[in-house]
Amino acid sequence: MYTVHADENGISFVPAFKARPNEPTYALLPPSNGAQFNQWGKSIDLAHEKDPLAGDSLKINGSTAISANPDRYKQHGFHFTADNCIGCHACEAACSEKNDLPAHISFRSVGYVEGGTYPDFRRVNISMACNHCDDPVCLTGCPTRAYTKFAEYGAVLQDPDICFGCGYCTWVCPYNAPQLDPIKGEVSKCNMCVDRLEVGLKPACVAACLAGALDFGVVETPPANRIQAKLEIPGFPDPGITHPNIRFQQTRDLPREMRRTDSMPLVYVRKEAAGKTRYQPQVAEKPAIREWSFEKLRSREDPLVVFTLISQMVVGAFLTLFLGPLLGIEILSQKTHPVTHASLLLGLLALETFALALSTAHLGKPHRFYRAFYNLRWSPVSREVAGIAVFFNVLGLYTMLSVTGFFPEIKDVAGWLAAVSGPVALYAMVRIYRIKARPFWDHWQVATSFYGSTLALGPLAVALTYAGVLAYQGQAFSGLLAVLAWPMALGLAIEGLGLIAHARDLERRGGEAAASHMEQRTRFGRIYILRNVGLLAGIGLVSALAVTHAEGAPGFWVWVLAALIIVATALIGRALFYVLVIPTTMPGAFFWRNKGFEEHARKTGLAKMPQVGVLPEAH
Amino acid sequence: MLFGRQTKNPIKIVDKGVVDWKYTTCGYCSTGCSIEVGLNAEGRAVTSRGVADAPVNQGKLCIKGIFEHELFNSANRGKTPLLRERAIDAYREVGWDVALDHTVAEIRRIQEKHGRDSVAIVSTGQILTEEFYTLGKLTRGVIGTNNYDGNTTLCMSSAVSGYKRSFGSDGPPGCYEDFDHTECLMAFGSNLPEQHPIIYWRLKMALEKRKFPVIVVDPRVTMFAQMADIHLPITPGTDLVLLNSLAHVILKEGLQDRAYIEAHTTGFEEFANLVAQYDPTTAAAICGVDEDTIRHVARVYAKAGAAMSIWTMGINQSTHGSDGVAAINSLNLITGNIGKPGGTSLSITGQCNAMGTREWSSCSGLPGYRALEKEKDRETIAKYWGIDPEFFPRQRGLFMTDIFPAMETGQIKALWLIATNPMTSMPNIPRIKKTLQNLEFLVVQDAYADVETTKYAHVFLPAALWGEKEGVFTNTERRVNLVRKVMEPHGDSKPDLWIFNQMAKRFEQGRKMRFPETSAEVFEEMRELSRGRMLDYSGLTYDGIEKQRGIQWPCPEGAEAGAPRLYTDGVFQHPDGKAKLLALPFVDNNERPDRQFPFWLNSGRVVEHFHTRTRTGKIGNVNKFSPTPYMEMNPDAASDLGIEQMSYARLVSRRGVAVVMVQLTHCVPHDMVFIPFHFHECVNRLTLGLLDPYSRQPAFKQCAVRIEPATDQLAAAAANVAARSY
Repeated sequence: MYTVHADENGISFVPAFKARPNEPTYALLPPSNGAQFNQWGKSIDLAHEKDPLAGDSLKINGSTAISANPDRYKQHGFHFTADNCIGCHACEAACSEKNDLPAHISFRSVGYVEGGTYPDFRRVNISMACNHCDDPVCLTGCPTRAYTKFAEYGAVLQDPDICFGCGYCTWVCPYNAPQLDPIKGEVSKCNMCVDRLEVGLKPACVAACLAGALDFGVVETPPANRIQAKLEIPGFPDPGITHPNIRFQQTRDLPREMRRTDSMPLVYVRKEAAGKTRYQPQVAEKPAIREWSFEKLRSREDPLVVFTLISQMVVGAFLTLFLGPLLGIEILSQKTHPVTHASLLLGLLALETFALALSTAHLGKPHRFYRAFYNLRWSPVSREVAGIAVFFNVLGLYTMLSVTGFFPEIKDVAGWLAAVSGPVALYAMVRIYRIKARPFWDHWQVATSFYGSTLALGPLAVALTYAGVLAYQGQAFSGLLAVLAWPMALGLAIEGLGLIAHARDLERRGGEAAASHMEQRTRFGRIYILRNVGLLAGIGLVSALAVTHAEGAPGFWVWVLAALIIVATALIGRALFYVLVIPTTMPGAFFWRNKGFEEHARKTGLAKMPQVGVLPEAH
Repeated sequence: MLFGRQTKNPIKIVDKGVVDWKYTTCGYCSTGCSIEVGLNAEGRAVTSRGVADAPVNQGKLCIKGIFEHELFNSANRGKTPLLRERAIDAYREVGWDVALDHTVAEIRRIQEKHGRDSVAIVSTGQILTEEFYTLGKLTRGVIGTNNYDGNTTLCMSSAVSGYKRSFGSDGPPGCYEDFDHTECLMAFGSNLPEQHPIIYWRLKMALEKRKFPVIVVDPRVTMFAQMADIHLPITPGTDLVLLNSLAHVILKEGLQDRAYIEAHTTGFEEFANLVAQYDPTTAAAICGVDEDTIRHVARVYAKAGAAMSIWTMGINQSTHGSDGVAAINSLNLITGNIGKPGGTSLSITGQCNAMGTREWSSCSGLPGYRALEKEKDRETIAKYWGIDPEFFPRQRGLFMTDIFPAMETGQIKALWLIATNPMTSMPNIPRIKKTLQNLEFLVVQDAYADVETTKYAHVFLPAALWGEKEGVFTNTERRVNLVRKVMEPHGDSKPDLWIFNQMAKRFEQGRKMRFPETSAEVFEEMRELSRGRMLDYSGLTYDGIEKQRGIQWPCPEGAEAGAPRLYTDGVFQHPDGKAKLLALPFVDNNERPDRQFPFWLNSGRVVEHFHTRTRTGKIGNVNKFSPTPYMEMNPDAASDLGIEQMSYARLVSRRGVAVVMVQLTHCVPHDMVFIPFHFHECVNRLTLGLLDPYSRQPAFKQCAVRIEPATDQLAAAAANVAARSY
């Protein structure tokens, strides 16, 4: 164990973790082997002595102690000998015990993959927590800057007191490391046991390992008796995404196909390419079913379904209203229908207010909503929130000036600002979903879907409002609607084309992407068809209405029908977008970390017993 | 490199505020880990850790030990005694005096009417050794029933019986340190990574330092089987055939240790004649291990400089459990592998104090490995206790598994259960339920008020848990370790020792005898009674034990340390000082799969469960890894039957029906399923549990079932939820 610095007066600082004088040798941090660079070519040294980042106390629980460990500024990481893990849960238990975690979350989890047939059978257990990555996507993704990558040990730490519980880090992390606790409404995660590291002890999980599987030290320094420092093993997501600081030993030969026991429809299949052997995720055997699964469309992300669709509609509607008159659609100008124009603007503002309230309520800690802007430099969430906020404010200003008639020049500026900031905010919204650990989302189809909805829903809202007013006044509305029908048809068509390409690319990419697509065609197969038919019907109907100039009550009601189809299709499509995603997470076990069991436990009431470790539906 | 915030915030990490660490010994399995429980400033137990310099676990703990401090406040601990006249009435809370007076009055009434043996007492392997000794004194010396046994009959009695038959006495001769010396380890029906993960860790660390062959005999491809160099996927219930055949090869090829056999054993000729019948060709057809592998394994084992065998329930829980143990002992005797470093027959025991009950509870005889059958032993103990030796029976009475049939037919009218839960743990539960309802009087003494047996009880006595009292446990390598009191007993629950003493006071004979109040005084009696015997405790004191973190007996007064091994001098406990080589013919009386019931039903434990889950089932971070009943089933077999992963299936045996969730895995063969055995209303609704003729231990692991998909999955799920409160 390392001694602890004393200050200039010779008063020693008491470290946060109270180590025993006789800690067993297996628990002591070993020294580095002197490697300078990791396998990705990055420096293992994170700060030099004179670096402003160096020489500070970590201030753990108020302690001012500073460890004298010479490797303190080297990137540390876990080493996992997959040959040896017996799945005894000691690492998970030691972690949960030390961090006082409730049964429904855990910083470290053991899952497994299995292959072969009796008795030539192999199970590979995988114990996984945070990998304290070189490129921590949690850190860049977090809008509140709750994450810090410390120069000390290279630990990526998260501060629950800053977090507002949006859960975006849980989306971007490929390893399921950040844990969103729905009860506390905040995320927490593996802290590398830096309190133990500061007194020269390995993390609690490592000290608890009963099989010689889990170890820890400076990255690229394999533990004693270990010969490999591989970057992956079967079941581990592509390390290229975040450059994780975990290394593996896996020397024993495995069956060609390794299966998961949890409900994720994935298997890992051995592929030899360029002299390297990799296990690649593939879609598991496809169940010959095609179901509705309407009840499964609901999810924790329901507020986001509504928020994204309303925001897109509001942007689209504003653009229609603002640009319409400029493009010669005089009927949409403020002068022509001042009351309708003002009412519509106020209505859009109210809708967006509702959507924002909904998305804020979706946070674990809504009262911390203002923290959404803390990470404009990196986080797509921050940028999206900022973009929407700008749009919302200039829309508000425009509406106010438009209704009151004050400062017409400023009104125009505000209008143009809204017309620009709206689409820009939607672009930021698109970027949120381009997550490598969520292959189903990581496709340009997100853009066609979001802008498609903008084009379809915005003009639709305007069209229906004006059609109602015009019809009430006994005036013809088909002229306006015939014009507005084209952006609608275009929006629906863009979305449809995006979906076609998306489906094709999901199949081609394989792995989790293909598995999502398979779910889409099987478990949600009937809904998927319904949505696709809805899109086609929407395009057909609005085109037909545009061409026929249907007028009067019949025309109005067919428009209402078209609107219902378009809105329902959009809702279903967006709900599918959220529920179909299969992240590149680690394999689970049969009960723990198995989505299938979690669903079952909630549905049957097993989850009501807290010791089952599954929260009853919290939302 | 990205660092996020430049001005770093202080870091907060959970600090449980421990101000005091209490030394104790884990109260789950028999590994015997030294554990420290941390108390915070309010005196609450908030954390557990392995004692860093303990010889057994060297600072490690398994998942159960890591969360052991949570037991003190776990759900449904018994708080106050409960009483009711009839099992159909509602319980009412009563004071201890009322509950104990009533209990003693009922015992005396029934004994007066139906004879002393009409009351049975079934205890456990969970309480402290001092408590076992006191219960033994109360039962043998005061109550005087001969129908007294422990639930160790369900787990260890085959090992006890096998040791007695081979070596003349119970007592595992080896130790964990043997892993550091052995050159070949063979494990029979033992899945260390799951059942004894700390012992597995000791083995693994030995293997990291020095590689030696590990051979695992198990019908399932357990984690241990996968980690082994050779896995012998044996046909259930045929270990004796394999063992006889291994001996056959060794003798045929002249690989035995002739000098050792000559000097230290008897019965070689009959043994040799018997194993001559078990040539590998014949054996392979029965046990499912091919003949070449049998020969290979026999040679590897016999040629190793030191070889050791370990076993657990795979051997013990079968109709030839005792024979299997004796055959393992014989294998080690003929190869000279007893009493030397790395050469041993080491039974890996189940409960934390299964050894304590074997040594001191008087279940199978009298304290300190004494026998009722021996006049000298009866006289010694009678004199020491101050009673008439004629009060003792001259032969041990019924085993636990025979006590239940005697209750079924009315010879036994009353039962006192101590820290055991036959409603879940006994085979053929439908029969056990009927039997318990036949009783005139049932007392359940347990730490948990929701233990299933309370359903049919008349009196419930809430007992203190491990860590709420002081005393010793003996582990599987004969290491006596200390449990210090960590917390006050929960509610109005009381240490078992207090309960036994209070019971004794209520009998006339009990008032005449000495029943010391403290564990330390009881321990003194044990020390005296062990002086000069094989299990010599005379060199042990509580402080000395704590200082050395457990001491292995024999430890005579004045000895610096305990003895790691028994029989190092080749002198055994049979009167002639020799070990017996026993000729053990194999009789196949198991219920085997047939057309009607085509699957073997196998059962066992998983690491996160213990003892019918009364404790582990309430700790979320332990229980969540297998919170509801399931079975492992071969995917090919399931597909033939139209059974899907994570659906419910219905299992039917000649005894009953169970509904469990299906986990598809190739770790079991096509014709076998495996179900963890600690779930209530689950595997033991199906099991037959034929009894071993010597140990009376049930064959839990060999019977036949039929499997069907549950036709109404939702109803099956609802029935499963309804069947359990934890």
